[in-house]
Amino acid sequence: MSLKQYVTAPLLKENPVTLHVLGICAALAITNSLTSSLIMSVALTTVLIISNATISLIRHHLPNSVRMIVQITIIASSVTVIDQLLTAYLPTAASALSVYISLIVTNCIVLGRAEACAMNHGVRRSIADAIGNGLGYSAILIFVATIRELFGNGSLMGVKILELARDGGWFQPNEMLMLAPSAFFIIGFMVWGIRSWKPEQREQPEFKSMVAPREVEGQ
Amino acid sequence: MDNNDPRKAVIVVALVAVVCSSLVSAAVVLLRPVHLNNQLLERSRNIMQLTGLIEPGQTLEDAKMLALFKRLDVRMVDIDQGAFDGSMDPKTFDQRRAAGDPQLGVAVPAGRDLARLGTRSRYAPVYLVWDENQLQRIILPIRGAGMWSMLYGYLALESDMNTVAAASFYEQTETPGLGDQITRPDWLAKWRGRKVYDELGDPVFAVGPGRIAPDSSAALHRVDALTGATITGDAVTSLVHYWLGPHGFQLLLNQLREQPPTQAATAAGGDS
Repeated sequence: MSLKQYVTAPLLKENPVTLHVLGICAALAITNSLTSSLIMSVALTTVLIISNATISLIRHHLPNSVRMIVQITIIASSVTVIDQLLTAYLPTAASALSVYISLIVTNCIVLGRAEACAMNHGVRRSIADAIGNGLGYSAILIFVATIRELFGNGSLMGVKILELARDGGWFQPNEMLMLAPSAFFIIGFMVWGIRSWKPEQREQPEFKSMVAPREVEGQ
Repeated sequence: MDNNDPRKAVIVVALVAVVCSSLVSAAVVLLRPVHLNNQLLERSRNIMQLTGLIEPGQTLEDAKMLALFKRLDVRMVDIDQGAFDGSMDPKTFDQRRAAGDPQLGVAVPAGRDLARLGTRSRYAPVYLVWDENQLQRIILPIRGAGMWSMLYGYLALESDMNTVAAASFYEQTETPGLGDQITRPDWLAKWRGRKVYDELGDPVFAVGPGRIAPDSSAALHRVDALTGATITGDAVTSLVHYWLGPHGFQLLLNQLREQPPTQAATAAGGDS
C-alpha cells in the first residue's frame, strides 16, 4: 500500500468506529453539537499524530515489558498539553467538552494505532496511518453530530437552520437525538448499512452453537 | 543495550517520564497567564449576569464587560458580625485561601455544616447593585460540597433580602450530563422570584422533586429538581440553607433589612 492508501483506507474500508467499533464513548457523548465534534475531531487527530510519530520514532528502544506504560505516558502527556491549549484559547468550547478531551487518553483508537501500527512501522507510515484514522473517526463524528444537532435542536454549529416549534416555528425537534443513546442508534444503523454494502466487513461468529459440537462428540 | 535488559526498561521509562513531564509542566506554566485571564473574565461575566445590568443572554465585549465589572460596588463583609468591614480590600481578598487560613478562617461547627465545608472564611466579598441610590440587588458568594466536587456560585437577592433575583454556579465538576445541569441557564432562571425565607425567617428554599401547584405557598420556595441530579440538587438546597442561615449571611441580611445600606460616595459616580 502506498502512503496515500494508509490515509484513505481508514475512512471507510477500515474505519476505526464502524469496523473496529473503537472510540464509541466520546462519539456518544459529544456528538449532540457539531462544534464540539469538530473540536474533538481535531484534538483526537492531533493526539493520534503526535503519539504515533513519537512511538514510531523510539520503537526500537522500547522494551516489550514496559511498552504500554511508555505509550500511555506519551499519549497522556500530549492530551494534557492539548487540553491546556484548548482551555486557554477556546474556553467556552472546552468547557462544553468538559472531561471528554482528557478522556482521549482512554480512547482505544489512540492506543490501538500505537500498538497496531506505530510499534512496527516507520515514522512516515505511522503519521499517514494516524491522519487516516483521525479522519475516519472525524467523519463518523461529523456525520452523527450533523444528524443529531440538526434534527434534535434545529441548528448546526449553534446557527439556527430549522425554526423550532417552541420558538414559534414549524419544526418539532426530536428530543431523543439530544441524548446519548440516539448516537448509539445512528452508529448502529451506519454499521448495519456499511456491512450490508461491504459484506467483507462482517464479523465471523465468535462462538459456535452449543448443539453442534455435542453431536460431534456423541458419534 | 539489549531491550530485554531490565536496566534498559528503567532508563527508557525514566527518560520518557522526564521528557513528558517537562513538556506538560512547560505547557501549564506558559499558559497560566491566559488561564488566569480567562478565569477573571469568566467570573466577572458571571457576576455581571447576576446584576441585572446587562440583558440576559446578551454578550458584551470583554473589555466593556470588565469596565462595568470594575465599577460594581463590592464590599467586604464580616460574616459573624453581620456587617461591612471597610478595613479589607475586596479586590485582593482570596476567599478560598482565607478559609484555610488560621487567622482569616473559622471552623464550621459540625451540626451546622450543611454545606460540608469544614472551614470557611470569616470575610466575604459581597456585590451591591445600585440604581439611582436605590439598592437593587445584593450578590452573595456561596459554595458547598456537591456529589464529587465543591460547587462555587453566587446568589443574587432583591433589595428585600428575601426574593431570589438570580443565581449561578461558575465552578463545579459534577457528573457531566447529570449533576452539571445545575449550570443550565434555563434551570437557574426558575430560581427568579423564589423566596428564600419563610415567615419565621428561616431559610426554606429547596430544590425538590415532584409537581406542585404553581400558586401554592410551597411553590414560592421551591425550584424543580433536575432529573438524574438528586444528590447535587440536595447539595444545592443544603448550601443555600447554610449560607442564608445563622452561620452564613443571615445576620448581615437581617441587619440590612432593618438598616438599608447607603450608596457609598466613591461608588456612586461610577467614573472613578
